[in-house]
Amino acid sequence: MKSIVSAVAKRLATTAIVLFGVSILIFLIARIIPGDPARIALGPRATVEQVERMRETLHLNDSIFVQYGYFVGDFLRGDLGISLYTNRPVMTDIAQFLPATLELVLLAGFFMVSIGLPLGAIAARYRGGWADHTIRIITLLTVSAPAFVWAVILVLLFSYYTPLFPIAGRIHETISIAPVTRFMLIDTLIAGRLDGFLSALHHLILPAFALSLSGIGQAARLTRSNMVEVYTQPYIEMAQSYGFSERRIASKFAFKPSLIPSLTIIGLDFAALLGNAFLVENIFAWPGISRYGVGVILQKDLNAIVGTVMIISATFLIANIVVDLLVAVINPRIRYAEQSD
Amino acid sequence: MRDAPTLSISDLTLSFRNWSGVSQVLHGIDLDIHKGERVGLVGESGSGKSVIARIILGTLHDVKGAQIGGDVRLGGRDMAGMSKSERGELRGTELSMIFQDPTTALNPVYTIGMQFLEVLRRGDSGMSAEDGKVRSAEILGEVSITDVDRVLESYPFQLSGGMNQRVMIAMALVNEPQLLLADEPGTALDVTVQAQTLELMRNLVEQHGTSVLFISHNLGVVREFADRIYVIYKGRIVERGPTASIFADPRHPYTKALMAAIPRLTGGGVPDIAEESESFFDPMITHGEAPE
Amino acid sequence: MKRAATILLGNPLSCLGLILVGFVVLTALLADFIAPYPEHAGAVVDFLNANKPPSSDYWLGTDVVGRDQLSRIFFAYRISLILGVVVLTISVPIGVTVGLLAGYLSGWTEYLLMRITDVFLSIPPLVLALAIMGLLEPTLINGMIAVTAMWWPWYARLVYNITRAEKVEGYVLAAEVIGAGKVHIMFREILPNSLPAIITKMTLDFGFVILIASSLSFLGLGVQAPTPDLGSMVSDGTRYLPDSWWLTVFPGLAILIAVFGFNLIGDVLREVLEPDL
Repeated sequence: MKSIVSAVAKRLATTAIVLFGVSILIFLIARIIPGDPARIALGPRATVEQVERMRETLHLNDSIFVQYGYFVGDFLRGDLGISLYTNRPVMTDIAQFLPATLELVLLAGFFMVSIGLPLGAIAARYRGGWADHTIRIITLLTVSAPAFVWAVILVLLFSYYTPLFPIAGRIHETISIAPVTRFMLIDTLIAGRLDGFLSALHHLILPAFALSLSGIGQAARLTRSNMVEVYTQPYIEMAQSYGFSERRIASKFAFKPSLIPSLTIIGLDFAALLGNAFLVENIFAWPGISRYGVGVILQKDLNAIVGTVMIISATFLIANIVVDLLVAVINPRIRYAEQSD
Repeated sequence: MRDAPTLSISDLTLSFRNWSGVSQVLHGIDLDIHKGERVGLVGESGSGKSVIARIILGTLHDVKGAQIGGDVRLGGRDMAGMSKSERGELRGTELSMIFQDPTTALNPVYTIGMQFLEVLRRGDSGMSAEDGKVRSAEILGEVSITDVDRVLESYPFQLSGGMNQRVMIAMALVNEPQLLLADEPGTALDVTVQAQTLELMRNLVEQHGTSVLFISHNLGVVREFADRIYVIYKGRIVERGPTASIFADPRHPYTKALMAAIPRLTGGGVPDIAEESESFFDPMITHGEAPE
Repeated sequence: MKRAATILLGNPLSCLGLILVGFVVLTALLADFIAPYPEHAGAVVDFLNANKPPSSDYWLGTDVVGRDQLSRIFFAYRISLILGVVVLTISVPIGVTVGLLAGYLSGWTEYLLMRITDVFLSIPPLVLALAIMGLLEPTLINGMIAVTAMWWPWYARLVYNITRAEKVEGYVLAAEVIGAGKVHIMFREILPNSLPAIITKMTLDFGFVILIASSLSFLGLGVQAPTPDLGSMVSDGTRYLPDSWWLTVFPGLAILIAVFGFNLIGDVLREVLEPDL
């Protein structure tokens, strides 16, 4: 237990360093763009006074180090500045739009793990057989198209041609739910509306599945290759020599060791989901961070761009810490690090 | 009438068919092990000794391209007539195996206790966790492990190689199998630890009356362990007989070459018989059986 | 090389991959000659034939201003391939150099370079490219910069891991003993041994660069009109779902075909060149 705590503490420290690096990187990108950020943000018709006032509020007249100091100080206080696009604090905007995206990403992540890992395990268990070949081709196909192509195909097939799922939105239009956490699945339960919960879930499934398809493929391919490697280990032959069924060997003796190298990479795939959510939200008119993100990018809304990237990166890093914890739970070598060293 | 031998192999052949043709690995092996008997099978790597163990286990039957001929009987039952699941039933209950490197042969992500419980449930599928622990502790005591609780809660990487080897021996015997296959046991360990664990294993199989097929490249190690020895060269048995009689009077040229290599082998190295000789293909020599 | 060719031709999956990639490359190269309406690559308007479903005149239908979709897909492949080549020729050498330096030199160089790599890896790939694209102007060149910025860290990681494993191998130690320089060891000893892994990853990545670039333009942050681009074609078509399905489905399948082709080849290469991965 103690070593898990120290592993997490160590990981948090690295995360802080990386997040610090992200802030420098984003800050630099935002400052090296050609032209006056204030002028770009306000557009060519703004007066010189307006631009000067904005330069003052953005601290653009100070040296770049001072600017960065302001930026970090504000960030640590949870202040990401005012969005020039919505005229509201960036933090407020993100708090409004991010939950819908996270809800999508979390369900997609669930699909990725709950479908991808078993598919990979089946392929490894029947390696070289027809199931393996079929899974290989299917997973290679799913990773070969961006999420928006899958979204288009799925929406045509399962919303238009066979109306199994809603075409767009988060919940049926006749149901109105007071936003508390802004996670629709949670808010409907808080409101005690089971019908609302089911409707929200119904709306969530197709976009989440479209988003998860390439992740499912990645996870399955990764699991297969790691598990095939595990199958060459002496402890699998040992399990065979004890007459355990192939099924039991796959599910108990080979799968768990193969997860250790897989999980870390699956954490990275989770990051890809956060980015790809931008592609899926567009098609399903999902009120998440995507429309806001693309909007602020097109408006050259500096504060909002920097803030959004910082928050998304922080979310991703947190997800990776969770993955590391899971790896520690599965891998006794990490749990008992102090004895083995 | 005497009981059927624990293991009786006659005219066993094995060939692998692949895209380039057929390669013959075993050329008609005859081998018997009686109840409670410890038999050594000695040869270089590539002589075919390890595949014999896999054939007895029944794991080679399912490998694509493997063609097995001849007769293998376990306690009188013909293995060729068994289905895949029937062969699987025997493993872990009537047959068990000990591997070369104990640390990599134990699953890295489960505790010794959990692995013991799994093995025990092969023999008695209804075994409870508590009973499993009691039974595991008992057999671990028999291989001179004193801090049983710590060992059961440990993962293989937390234990020494010698400790893992004892665990593996205990695990192999906990379901009271008729026949134990030991494939180069402890070769990955250092010499003194190997000697200790072999001594333990010898005592244990003697007490339990388990028959053993002990496979090794090292005649010196086999001498300490086996009642009878088969020497195998390139898929053929070249000499067989009681251990004492073979050591006293090695007659086949290949056995003589192996004997000459013993001093170099005690370090646990791979046998290195410099020259290959036509005489190694001389016909098999059988020493008179020791009186029973 | 000869071995790779034998392998690729001997496996049905990679054969299919070669056919698909060959199709994409040929149509991109010969677009001017084989496209039924080469002039439709530009800002042509033909409202008489706007938004027509697939027919014998327009195999894949026409878009909302009446341009032939098949012709535009051929020209869009050209842009995609150029982008893939440019992005990989810039990002692979950068990533490989960073990985070699960090893996071989260790100490502060290693720490600094790998933390920088981590920083890039900790921004979800598409988001980083989006941010860069958003701050710059959405042009083809900037699109390449954005995708390159998100691509090199993966090569740094790959080569770093290989280098760390290789630097304790006999041939590296031997080179050190005879006094070979660090640069020589990194680029002449270790690099050749990491090439199979790098080439395999490049094959797979060629498809993924096309995929990411189409994603950027799908969001309106890539190649700008009237230059034909697969991502923008899908994006423009989504407003006309479900009736004008050909506006989205065909460009979408065009992306799938190209990326799938490269993935098939890369997958077979990986299996053969790195059996342990």
